[in-house]
Amino acid sequence: MTMDVTLNVNGQEHKLAVEPTETVVNILRNRLELTGTHKDCSMGVCGACTVLMNGRPVSSCLLLAPQADGQEIRTVESLEHDGKLSPLQEAFLTFGAVQCGYCTPGFLMTATALLEENPKPDRGEVIEALKGNLCRCTGYKKIIEAVESVVGQ
Amino acid sequence: MSCQYTQATSVDEAVSALVDANGEAHLIAGGVALVILMNEKLVEPSWLIDVSRIEALHGIDRLPDGTVRIGAAVTHREIAESQVISETFPMVPEMAAEIACGRIMNKGTIGGNICLADPQGDPPIAMLALDATMRAAGPDGTRDIPVREFFVDLYTTALREDELLQEILIPPMKDGSVTAFGKYAARKAMDYTSTISIAVRLIRNDSSGNLNEISLGFGGVGQTPMHSEEIERMLTGAAPTDALFEAVREKLFDVLEPIDDHLYSANYKRHVSAVTLRRTIMKAYDGTWEGEGVLIR
Ligand SMILES: Cc1cc2nc3c(=O)[nH]c(=O)nc-3n(C[C@H](O)[C@H](O)[C@H](O)COP(=O)(O)OP(=O)(O)OC[C@H]3O[C@@H](n4cnc5c(N)ncnc54)[C@H](O)[C@@H]3O)c2cc1C
Repeated sequence: MTMDVTLNVNGQEHKLAVEPTETVVNILRNRLELTGTHKDCSMGVCGACTVLMNGRPVSSCLLLAPQADGQEIRTVESLEHDGKLSPLQEAFLTFGAVQCGYCTPGFLMTATALLEENPKPDRGEVIEALKGNLCRCTGYKKIIEAVESVVGQ
Repeated sequence: MSCQYTQATSVDEAVSALVDANGEAHLIAGGVALVILMNEKLVEPSWLIDVSRIEALHGIDRLPDGTVRIGAAVTHREIAESQVISETFPMVPEMAAEIACGRIMNKGTIGGNICLADPQGDPPIAMLALDATMRAAGPDGTRDIPVREFFVDLYTTALREDELLQEILIPPMKDGSVTAFGKYAARKAMDYTSTISIAVRLIRNDSSGNLNEISLGFGGVGQTPMHSEEIERMLTGAAPTDALFEAVREKLFDVLEPIDDHLYSANYKRHVSAVTLRRTIMKAYDGTWEGEGVLIR
């Protein structure tokens, strides 16, 4: 049985008829063609599919479309403005915090939420905020340094 | 399979949907447990009843008699940040702050966690140590269930098919009570398997140094979040000595019923539970904490 929901994604309203059991990660990727959000474990463990709902990180693999009805969703695509990457995205490139890139959108959204809420986190707070995101390439050090480099900017 | 979705706005609406569904519906709050089961095709719901937008399931309040009321749909994050709770039951927000990571805390609810009745859940054992009451709502109104009667079997609670958990009531602690929460997890941010945890509330007799009263919850060592009156009796009135903890350790090997899993054997879990119990009791007793690798509150 389909139902109508309104998803506000990156400032744009989408009225969609959905199966109530459809997850937001699938809708973003398959229906809105926002493939920046990556899907991996589907168990809330890896953090790759992290998006912001009303400004806070959530796992979009565990978020059903009706749960997101009327809520504000932000994905990694929202970080770039007029063809320019955000300072955090630039820092990820500068510091080598991106290798295979699969986890990167999740880290970027988690760190974006951290910096919006707490503009001057110390190293401990950065590590604490990122503890739910897995990266199998970088060893985390460069990611932490990249986030620290934009603190205060 | 086609699924119906009810976005309930009141307890009555959710309960009447439960009645209509006749046992075929699943309640959903944060979804961070249920949607995993759906993604794995272990659950294929034909009717979902969303309780997360019901006003009566929200809010944290201190009642005139000192009881703290937590709505079932309150998130772990709201609990971790709650001044009202931390003033009286500091163990509770500190426990909530260590549930997985921000992504899960922002969405997962205390009610969903308790109603999942996972033997490794943290909130259930905190509620066991604090002797909380689970207030259920059903077709005939509300019904109070003592937490010690709430967890009946693996992933099974005392709720009936037409009932939901409305709120949790934590009674004021007797004067002199102290609490602590201990958790042993392989990867604390995301692993949710092989977690051994202990919640303690105790009153210490300041002149004799004995344990006047003690109440415990055991996580990760049985079919349900567990309590043990036998162990509590052994500890009550006793001095916390090496000999006492050795006797308790031996008794725990009989009382606990952990299973072997991909990380730890059942016997290893019994051992870790006994060590964590001792450390957590001593943390509550006089603030001492020995050892590494264990998260302690
Ligand atoms: C990566 C990861 C790590 C985790 N780590 C921890 C951890 O360290 N400690 C810990 O304790 N938990 C942990 N969890 C589990 C998680 O915190 C809980 O399972 C979560 O709180 C469930 O809440 P929810 O609101 O999302 O429940 P849902 O998924 O919505 O529901 C769970 C169950 O409860 C039922 N239910 C929900 N609300 C009600 C209600 N009001 N009345 C009756 N039944 C209801 C549902 O029908 C379902 O059966 C982890 C989960 C993940 C994904």
